[in-house]
Amino acid sequence: MGDVIVAGVGLHPWGKFPEKSWVEMGAEVALGAVDDAGMEWTDVEAMVSGAMQWGGSTGMRSGNTIAAALGETGVPIANINNACASGGSLMRAAYAMITSGMHDSVLVIGTDKSPKGYFPSVPVLADEPRPPVDMVRWQVGVPNPAYWALEMRKRMEAYGSTEEHLAQVKVKNSRHGSLNPYARYRKAFTMEQVLASPMVCDPLRLLEICATSDGAAAVVLVSDKKARRLGVSPLVKVAACSLASGEFGDPTIRIPLLAAASDGAATAPLLSESRLAAQMAYEQAGLGPEDMDFVELPDNSSWHELQYLETMGFCGEGEAEKLLDAGETALGGRLPVCPSGGFSSFGEATMAQGILQIVEVTWQLRGTAGARQVEGARKAITEVYGAQANNSACILTT
Amino acid sequence: MKQTPVLEGAFVSDPEPALVGSRCRTCETVAFPASFTCPNPRCAQKDVVATPISRTGRLASWTTVHFPPPPPFVAPDPFEPITVVEVEFASEGIQVVGPLAGASAEGLRMGMAMETVVEPYYSDDSGEVIGWKFRPAEGDADG
Repeated sequence: MGDVIVAGVGLHPWGKFPEKSWVEMGAEVALGAVDDAGMEWTDVEAMVSGAMQWGGSTGMRSGNTIAAALGETGVPIANINNACASGGSLMRAAYAMITSGMHDSVLVIGTDKSPKGYFPSVPVLADEPRPPVDMVRWQVGVPNPAYWALEMRKRMEAYGSTEEHLAQVKVKNSRHGSLNPYARYRKAFTMEQVLASPMVCDPLRLLEICATSDGAAAVVLVSDKKARRLGVSPLVKVAACSLASGEFGDPTIRIPLLAAASDGAATAPLLSESRLAAQMAYEQAGLGPEDMDFVELPDNSSWHELQYLETMGFCGEGEAEKLLDAGETALGGRLPVCPSGGFSSFGEATMAQGILQIVEVTWQLRGTAGARQVEGARKAITEVYGAQANNSACILTT
Repeated sequence: MKQTPVLEGAFVSDPEPALVGSRCRTCETVAFPASFTCPNPRCAQKDVVATPISRTGRLASWTTVHFPPPPPFVAPDPFEPITVVEVEFASEGIQVVGPLAGASAEGLRMGMAMETVVEPYYSDDSGEVIGWKFRPAEGDADG
């Protein structure tokens, strides 16, 4: 099995762009990534693109829509939706297309425009005998951040985590984001400002939960043979690309469900899919958490950042707060977490956020991340978090 | 007033309010809401039966939602924050989320006994939509 190389990346600034369609944003990053790879649009052998639910039927076939805009070349196009784990799932699909020898170059596109506020449910149009649980949970009144808040309160009870820890995650990530010209939010917040922001689902405050954004990102993955032909330098290698789903007996109450195994009956860990995806990635790369120079994890909320440090194996249970307190997860620390500023600074654009992480890691490993550069970065892991237990992790090395 | 359950078969009011899930006849796994099959991947039989869930459990977590959720949540105007609780039913090996009834979040503490009640979620032109809620219980939990 040959190596898979990140030959080119493209990123659109994230924010709200009412005058620009997701098709334009997607086309822009697609061409940006192809150009960055030193290729032409007509050289792309295959495409995978995020099936964007908020864009209706054409959004669900975003790859075809973008190809039609830029000029159809007849290449295979797969549109994939795995909620917030879509970007990682697209990477995995592209990776498999290359390692299988089917293609030498695959363009990976994520473009999305999100509704404001809590993510709503997509209406069910099928004639069904019962309402889906996703409709019932709204009648009960459980928005996505409520699921995270329920876990965070348990964490506070078990480990003595405080509201200040939650705020500190935002303070750190906003400082990172202030250094990133592509981020939506570039203001570095103080602890007092974060703690003064409105409570959304206690203990999680507005500034501790990522916004919903418009954003787009693209990557061109190529075989090592193609990379040599293109003269790609430095070679950023995809050392691992995993995809995992939840395990039976996981005590996490998953969006949009209403129940889970109780702690006493649990036969799988919290966020089983995320733990599994990270383990699979380490195994595939032949590396461990101790080898990583930095990490881009899914900071959908401050709870996520604390929990994923443990879920991804960087510390033991209940120890993430110590890493945070010691400054180890800040730029300049032993293990910078989300040097991009994370989803905290970009907001969620579900089809694109996993690819955003790959773009950031590629820039870091090329040494072109500017003011937020992690010194001497050679190896990094990314992980996303998808509703209903979807997860993907990628390890990039140079 | 006409009353419609938020999810048919998910709870009963008589003789006492309780959640209803499904239980596997072979491996005893309980699912809520009820499933047509057993979710245990290592269970080959998959034969399930409706089962009432203990009336009382223990508070595993809670959060107060300060901004109104989108439809189909029906928010009163002005919106009053709602508290969502997670209750552990140890005998069944599950935890379930639902709205808090008849109390403010102020008095909640981890592990306290909670009981299931059936109450209106909201009413509209076609009547009342009713569903399960949880409230602090007198005495100890069953499980």
